Amino acid sequence: MRSKLVMLLGLIGGPLLLRNLYVILFQLPDEMEQGPVYRIFYYHLPAFLTAAACYLSAMICSILYLKSKDAKYDAIALACTETGLAFAAVNLVTGMFWGRISWGIWWAWDPRLTWALICWLVYFGYLMLRKAIDDPTERAKNASALSIFAFVSVAITWKAIEWWRTQHPGPVLSIRTGEQRMDPFMEQMIYMNTVALSLLAAIFILVRLRQEETQREIDALRRYAHAL
Amino acid sequence: MTILRHASAIAIKDLRSEFRTKEALNGALSFSIVILLMIAFAFDTGAELVSDYGGGILWLAFTFASALIVNRSFARELPNDCIDVLVSSPASGAALFLGKSIASFLLLVVIESICLPVFGVFFNVTWWRNPSQLALVVLLGSWAMACMGTVFSALTINLRLREVMLPMLMYPMLIPAVLSAMTLTNYLMQPGPLPPDYAQWMRMLVGFDIIFTTLALALVETILVR
Amino acid sequence: MFYGLTVAWALLAIYAVFLGLRDKDLKKQLETLKRMVEEKK
Repeated sequence: MRSKLVMLLGLIGGPLLLRNLYVILFQLPDEMEQGPVYRIFYYHLPAFLTAAACYLSAMICSILYLKSKDAKYDAIALACTETGLAFAAVNLVTGMFWGRISWGIWWAWDPRLTWALICWLVYFGYLMLRKAIDDPTERAKNASALSIFAFVSVAITWKAIEWWRTQHPGPVLSIRTGEQRMDPFMEQMIYMNTVALSLLAAIFILVRLRQEETQREIDALRRYAHAL
Repeated sequence: MTILRHASAIAIKDLRSEFRTKEALNGALSFSIVILLMIAFAFDTGAELVSDYGGGILWLAFTFASALIVNRSFARELPNDCIDVLVSSPASGAALFLGKSIASFLLLVVIESICLPVFGVFFNVTWWRNPSQLALVVLLGSWAMACMGTVFSALTINLRLREVMLPMLMYPMLIPAVLSAMTLTNYLMQPGPLPPDYAQWMRMLVGFDIIFTTLALALVETILVR
Repeated sequence: MFYGLTVAWALLAIYAVFLGLRDKDLKKQLETLKRMVEEKK
């Protein structure tokens, strides 16, 4: 059933991603001030939104795990966190390329960039912590606690572009600012790409979840084999 | 309140055991002074440099010292299964966390009060321009390190590579607090009036302390119970 | 600009490849263990 779901998501998401790429490259006009380089933004912001959604799901699953002690929530949290890390990496790197072209530097210790990096490091620490604990219950419990702490840093990153007005551009989406700061066609493209990347993220999460279940099956079988 | 009574009992126990051997205290103090020494050699410590980076150098040394102190915090309870005894005692997880944080906090403050004059001598800095404000910043920053450190010490208590994992997990989460403390300390060591964004940084430091202390009190019970 | 877009796609492709490799590795481990359990029985 799950593999059918993955295929269905792939059938919708794949063409959507390709269609979006075509529109981004060929149909959308150049931006007034930045020229063609702004097109990176169509991946930069959606990647962050997808990563934040993944981290939020991971936090919710962590809370559910701590309440119910059901291991499947822990597996979902892990899958969401890993996928979130991949998309957050896309966000950071596309931002670096944009910064290189627009400001001439690869990195700036601007609050938003710093927070995005901190976010990435904290969730990477989550994966490191999981690798370091052998006992599955202990691992799930400690990782869930860390996931809840880590989400606070995500929340601050999201808010950071409102609280600090510095080098990084301010918020532009109309749903956030309440006014139309961006061309509606461009803004719609952002949402379309967010949907496409989220579908891709869902595929990654489902695949990773299946791999985690296989890993648990392997662990159980290994214990059984040693017991025989 | 029983929580405060339990917390103070645990804090006194930790401090008494620490002052008996002074292992972590001596180790952390020597390490932070060595760090200050190394930084003094690494950079040309002219006056311009220190007025821009003095706060950063100082808090770098404090952060490394804090890793050593908080690592001992729960590691001290590993021999003879003392941690199991503590967790199964009537003291709640919150009291245990509070007691250990307070003990780590006080040890950190001791180390920092020795490091400050040393820093002043090595780098020729007048750090006593604004003593009350500086004391506030040092106390708030140290509480942030003690609080987060105790949580991560509890998380990493059973890990093989505890000494490596603890700083690796703790430092990224501490960045907002340490960054605020560094900036505020920098402002306090410079002559003249305090810049307008002083209040904003102070708010960030206080906010960090409140948010993470609350989260820690809520979650530490879950982390410790096995 | 093209480098930026390429990098975005490349990172996601690398992650997909990484998932695929791990999948293969897990399947191999599972097969080995199943065989081991059958032999022991």
